[in-house]
Amino acid sequence: MARLVVGLGLRFPGKTLFQYPEIILGKAAGKAVALLYLWWFFQNCAENYRSFISFLAVSFMPETPLMVFVAFALIMASYGAYYGLEVIARTNQLFLPFVIVSVVLLFFLSVPEMTVNNLLPVFEAGMIHLVKSTAAPLAWFGEVVTFAVFIPYLNRPGQAHRVALFGILGTAAIYEMTVIGIIAIFSPALTAGYLFPVLNGARIIHLANFLERMELVLVVIWTVAGVMRVTLLHWVLVLGSAQWLGLKDYRPMILPVAVILTALFMLIHKGILEEYYFLAWVWPLYSLIIFEAGLPFLLLAVAAIRGVGGKSG
Amino acid sequence: MAFLTRTRRSRRAKPAGNEQNRSTGGRESTVPSFRDMALSSDLDANLDRLKEIFRDCSDIVFREFLFAQKEQIRLALVYTDGLADKSQVSEQIMRALSLEVPVAAPEAEITRANALHFVKMRGLCIHQVRESARVADVVDAVLSGDTVLLVDGHAVALINGARGWEMRSIQDSQTEVVVRGPRESFIETLRVNTSLIRRKIKNPNLKIEMFKLGEVTRTDVALVYIKGIASVGLVAEARNRLARIKIDGVLESGYIEELVQDDPYTPFALLHHTDRPDRVAAYLLEGRVAILVDGTPVVLLAPTLFIESIQTPEDYYEKSQFMTAIRMLRLLALFLSLTAPSFYVAIISFHHEMLPTALLLSIAAQREAVPLPVFVETLLMEIAFELIRETGIRLPRPIGMAVSIVAALIIGEAAVQAGMVAAATVIVVALAAIASFAVYYSGSVTVRLLRFFVLLLTSVMGLLGLMTGIILIVTHMASLRSFGIPYLYPVAPLGSADMKDVIVRAPWWAMFTRPGLISKKNRRRMAQGLKPEPLPTGGERHCWRKAGLTAGRPVFCWSRFFLPARFCLFRFSLCSTPVRTPGSQLFLLLSAA
Amino acid sequence: MSKRVAFLFLIIVLLGLTGGCWSRKELSETAIILGAGIDREPDGKVRLTLQIARPAAFGATEGGGGGGGGGAMVGTVWVVSGTGETVFDAQRNLSLQVSRRLYWSHNIILIFGEDASRQGVREVINFFSRSPQPRETMWVGVAKGKAEELLTSHSAMEKSSAQSLGFLERMKAGLFVEYKDFIRDLACPGTNPVAPRLELLYRGRHEGPVMELGPGYHKEAVLTGAAVFKDDRLVGWLDESETRGLLWLRNLIKKGAVTVPSLNEPEKKITMEIIRSKTKVDPYYDGEKASFEVQIRVDGMLIEQQSKEVFTDPEVMAALKKSLAADVERKARSALEKARDDYAVDVFGFGEAFHRKYKKEWPALKEYWDEEFARSDVDIAVEVRIRQSGMQAGRLSIRRGAER
Repeated sequence: MARLVVGLGLRFPGKTLFQYPEIILGKAAGKAVALLYLWWFFQNCAENYRSFISFLAVSFMPETPLMVFVAFALIMASYGAYYGLEVIARTNQLFLPFVIVSVVLLFFLSVPEMTVNNLLPVFEAGMIHLVKSTAAPLAWFGEVVTFAVFIPYLNRPGQAHRVALFGILGTAAIYEMTVIGIIAIFSPALTAGYLFPVLNGARIIHLANFLERMELVLVVIWTVAGVMRVTLLHWVLVLGSAQWLGLKDYRPMILPVAVILTALFMLIHKGILEEYYFLAWVWPLYSLIIFEAGLPFLLLAVAAIRGVGGKSG
Repeated sequence: MAFLTRTRRSRRAKPAGNEQNRSTGGRESTVPSFRDMALSSDLDANLDRLKEIFRDCSDIVFREFLFAQKEQIRLALVYTDGLADKSQVSEQIMRALSLEVPVAAPEAEITRANALHFVKMRGLCIHQVRESARVADVVDAVLSGDTVLLVDGHAVALINGARGWEMRSIQDSQTEVVVRGPRESFIETLRVNTSLIRRKIKNPNLKIEMFKLGEVTRTDVALVYIKGIASVGLVAEARNRLARIKIDGVLESGYIEELVQDDPYTPFALLHHTDRPDRVAAYLLEGRVAILVDGTPVVLLAPTLFIESIQTPEDYYEKSQFMTAIRMLRLLALFLSLTAPSFYVAIISFHHEMLPTALLLSIAAQREAVPLPVFVETLLMEIAFELIRETGIRLPRPIGMAVSIVAALIIGEAAVQAGMVAAATVIVVALAAIASFAVYYSGSVTVRLLRFFVLLLTSVMGLLGLMTGIILIVTHMASLRSFGIPYLYPVAPLGSADMKDVIVRAPWWAMFTRPGLISKKNRRRMAQGLKPEPLPTGGERHCWRKAGLTAGRPVFCWSRFFLPARFCLFRFSLCSTPVRTPGSQLFLLLSAA
Repeated sequence: MSKRVAFLFLIIVLLGLTGGCWSRKELSETAIILGAGIDREPDGKVRLTLQIARPAAFGATEGGGGGGGGGAMVGTVWVVSGTGETVFDAQRNLSLQVSRRLYWSHNIILIFGEDASRQGVREVINFFSRSPQPRETMWVGVAKGKAEELLTSHSAMEKSSAQSLGFLERMKAGLFVEYKDFIRDLACPGTNPVAPRLELLYRGRHEGPVMELGPGYHKEAVLTGAAVFKDDRLVGWLDESETRGLLWLRNLIKKGAVTVPSLNEPEKKITMEIIRSKTKVDPYYDGEKASFEVQIRVDGMLIEQQSKEVFTDPEVMAALKKSLAADVERKARSALEKARDDYAVDVFGFGEAFHRKYKKEWPALKEYWDEEFARSDVDIAVEVRIRQSGMQAGRLSIRRGAER
């Protein structure tokens, strides 16, 4: 999937996902595909806002209205989007080590609570179930499609393949580590019932009656990582809509996009249970099939057949 | 007043080129224009003109006298009382010219026509003499403390550098105190300050370019850099930014700082400032420029990185391990001073679950009697502390001390006793205050300000507010540039080679390159492989590496070309004897391949 | 730009001024719950008993110092009790009595009353998982009798009985069950939950002037064994010795001692302190009957000896080890037999071990595992290793003993 996206990006140097469909498919169809993607990014971004905020709201501040969270998140995201990709990347670069170190730290602090026996037996459920349940994380990793938007902004686009792969592997490693850790702590039976198992995992850490109540670290990680993610998507949206409309500067789009996102945010889900169900069962298939694999493949195929674009990296 | 606003506006709106006319045009009504005038050959006319210019300037002295050998040659001195060295003026100029001019060779007849040449070449016993035919130069020279000698019949003035005024002697640095390292600091006189730098860098490549800034004050400003180390682009950029300044007066380097910094709104110090010559010299050697302003000991340095606000010159003089630890402490201090009160508020009024039960109960017991919400209480204490600090700085020193002691006692002790504030709040606020002193002053000012911003956000949303504040601040910092260099440089964007001097202060032998983004071309500052190696214990002869310090050219270095090979070699060296000479390294590499 | 910044600031300030109190909870408006007890009323209602800290009193003994002898008179906690249809309903009803917002995050121990446990705890436990406030690390116990009585008692050592009970479990001398372990056992089909049994007993004696104020003996809440659940219902108890056996079988022995009679002088005893132990369970299944091999390996230190053998003799040592192993096995077996034969409940996690090894057979057995367990054979093998003998090699007083 990453190869697909990167291959597309490299065919059209300097163009983003919102621009090259037009070259490949012609004006009208290209605009339509770009609009589809724009819509998907809107939805994706709103989903991200939603999950970012519901975590904080549910577990820490149930009394606070969601709008306040949205306001705060939007201020941060718009501020980052205003400055553009470079600043987002730098901020990310600054925070990333802290996030990774904290995640690893949390993992190791909770090692005393883990029981390896909880992990066994593996692959009990059978292949069909296994494939079905990997759809959600896969769709999650499939968001590497976002990469298609900032390939033109890379200093060395030639390394895009490597970077994308590295990013996915790194994320997958951290993801795996967390999942395994949590299951080892709570056993699969209990983990399935939790909405935010990692939070429960962080809450049980206690070392020497002093180092306890570590969910604070988790909130910090969650906020930083969530905001970074949302900021990036916000920027992608702002840039995408500006490019779709043919604007030169993307900054005027920040406010409209923020407004649309707020509305979308409030509309997509009625409550956390609905969101939980949607994210677990509907969203993965929807985005995985259409946007993360289907359309990029289609685009690449058509581009290859019609011979548009430079030679593929 | 009209002219003030006018010049300010023109500074922003117009590019440097056509501004000149505008601002001079605007000034015409108040000060007679002499900018484009030339001197006349008539002494009286010149004097009249100067007297007109210096009308009502009681400190300008005009002194006419006659040349020693030819009485018909009239001379006149113009200087500022108090700025010119009186003994020099009377001894080396007046006495020399009116009494002691050596008898010229008989064939050299002194006439009105060659008087100027004779005076300059044989008469004046002054170390620095230059000629100028422009009235403007004369006026500038007089006001800068030089003594101007006018010779009748010549439209050229001799400007004698016989400056000498009352100045503070060089003292210990007031803002950056070190235990180990030089004590001296800059003073208010520009020339002394440049001499302090020159004494540290005895190299013709140390360039000191002079500017006169301030339409009214005509302040001397020096742009200092080391040619060949500072990148050409940076120097040109600094020159341009200084040249476009059109302001009525420059009384302190802070004026310039705000006029040249990259982001006009940021609370962060985008130009580092210091009063220590050693710091300036160190920065120059890293390829930066310094901006010295006459009348202030504070020197601006550009470009600046954020991390430098937790670094001191002493970091490079003291043991590297120790200073690394201290830097971590300072980083902690920076973080504490920014977030400690907010964190306290977030935990006490939003997230009680974060505290261990025993601690929570003890704090709850303290808070039982306190009537105010934590946020208000903390805010009040913060304000009280800022008040104490401010009075401590502004009041005359003996009184200031007394006031801060009394205030601290009253607030720290009595307020807790009276149940107005909880003891924990006092502890936290004091901790943040103390921590802010561990950060370099310009950084701590910023942090003190931002602390309130974060506190406000925290009071709304607890920990999320705190994180919002930090993320906004970091995003802002990531967007900053100082003279084109990203403010967070070695960390973001990552400059792995320069991480040696961020939190860790690597030993000197390891820091063999200058900061990458700053010194673009000329990266190497020392020969590689200067790491001291103890003599091998066997009879084997020790082979010192050549340590040729060549400025400008990179030293040829094997490990740079065979960096991956080094790892192989390391494994080799585990099983065989250590291989030291480059030749054998290469041989080993080839055989390994 | 400046307008934008000003606007941003305005928003923040307005947010702060207008409604910045959604989730803010001032400490002085919070009632910190230290212990909670759940009982069932005869009419089916839930009775919730809360032990709430009184911070002022907590501070007085710490900071006051010169408060005179009356310190003990001021109650450090306040116990309230109320009923409702559900736990949270009962809590809401309690808020008519408590002037502050109830706060669960620092709850140390959750106690189920005996009758509530017998009716099933699943009905009353959900609140503690669902609400974000109570923590997974709080301790769980079952009261013999009413939970309310335990919480109304006060501790002579700690500042409240809830703290005292929590710390007792934390010592890990007896059975210790955190909330997360409890619900884990409840959720896993291969095991059943256990919880320490808490009782109010005449233990400890006041010293000094307080004695004049009340009876010489003081009722203190203590750990006295274990409560055995079948799924979520209490079915019986294990006494203190059987609880040790339970700990052995669950691989939870952290510290403790094993005492056996001396080989030559049966009236004199020898005690070994446990340094570490490891229990391994191997299930076997032949298609119709499950059997288990339990291997317990104990490392110990000889800590006390009333008799006068010389343990440097390998034979004596071997005999001692054998005797110690027999004692451990006896305790483990007593717990096993009580659970298996009397209550027919697998509280040892044998089902999980079985599940790990026979994952194909497990789904068929899962539903009625406890019956399957009841007819299984368990073989217990104990190996004792004495690594240290304290600071002595032999008895110092051995010669005098020999003369006499």
